[in-house]
Amino acid sequence: MNFTIRPAARTDCKDISRMIRELAVYENMQDQVKISHEELERDGFCDSPFYQSLVAEVPEDRGRAVVGYAIFYYTYRTWTGPTVYLEDLYVRPEFRGKGIGKAMMNTVAKVAKQRQCSCLHLSVLDWNQPSIDFYIAKGGRNLTATEGWQFIRFEGDAFENLVQGAPKN
Amino acid sequence: MQPPPHPSEVEPPCRRRDRDMDFTIRAATLEDCKDISRMIAELAEYEKVSDQVKITQRDLEQDGFSKNPFFHGIIAEVPEHHRSKDGHTKVGYSLYFYTYSSWKGRAVYMEDLYVMPEFRGKGIGKALMSKVAQLGLAAGCHQLNFAVLDWNKASLEFYLSQGCWDVTADMGYHCMRCEGDALEHLAQGDP
Repeated sequence: MNFTIRPAARTDCKDISRMIRELAVYENMQDQVKISHEELERDGFCDSPFYQSLVAEVPEDRGRAVVGYAIFYYTYRTWTGPTVYLEDLYVRPEFRGKGIGKAMMNTVAKVAKQRQCSCLHLSVLDWNQPSIDFYIAKGGRNLTATEGWQFIRFEGDAFENLVQGAPKN
Repeated sequence: MQPPPHPSEVEPPCRRRDRDMDFTIRAATLEDCKDISRMIAELAEYEKVSDQVKITQRDLEQDGFSKNPFFHGIIAEVPEHHRSKDGHTKVGYSLYFYTYSSWKGRAVYMEDLYVMPEFRGKGIGKALMSKVAQLGLAAGCHQLNFAVLDWNKASLEFYLSQGCWDVTADMGYHCMRCEGDALEHLAQGDP
């Protein structure tokens, strides 16, 4: 299948937002999506963007259609330096099995290497065996299973309480 | 909305007196990298992985204090008369950076939180974590995220007591890593 991977533009945010919801449905968490294409536009295309993004396009009758996306950002390990975190990787179901997901992941890794990143991280749900198999086949290691890392989050009231506890001026 | 503020733009150093120990939380500067590097080594030893630390003081200076920094830092400092037995006044730190949730938007990730053993139990760790949360909120974040090793029961209990939740245990998210040869192959587009 003929496809193109390119950096996302601001105008892609509506398509990306739609696919974010499709991915959330796949992960059985559609009620968790709180942001819209407007936040994506503001946060990804400002002077200091919070994330980078790619889209996958295929030709269609009247131009091209966006059929997949990836969202990633730079992080840091104080032991080894810059790293990249792959937040989302998604291809519409009817376009899977054609190398599009792999091509987007390769592109993220290439961009990460150019910025001297030493590793790529991501999270996957423990029941999502197709995705786990995909990443393990690419040489990924499951740090939760092998080293016992647990991902911890503060949000809502707990986050507010933490903020309130900060030293005041 | 404004871009994320640098820690030094948010507030001047602030003092706390907790359990008879004065301490200050402030933005880290280039000159702090020597002490941050020292404390990173101490934290790695605590987590039993000292041989994995490859980053030097110079790397921290380049990666944290350039035009597009990979991280931000805050330091906990005590007055001279409270210095450590080895003579240090910089006794704790946190390194953090901004991340993104495609569901919830802006988030802050706390990569390291460390207080020297002889200064624990005085509220310094909690003050550092709260400061990261405050800076995150000022930048428009709605989540503070970080990782903890499952055998580190003392840390897990501390964090859970502050109201956070374990995303791995509760939702089943596993952290995956691709590095070394695997990352090389991925970057080259190998099948």
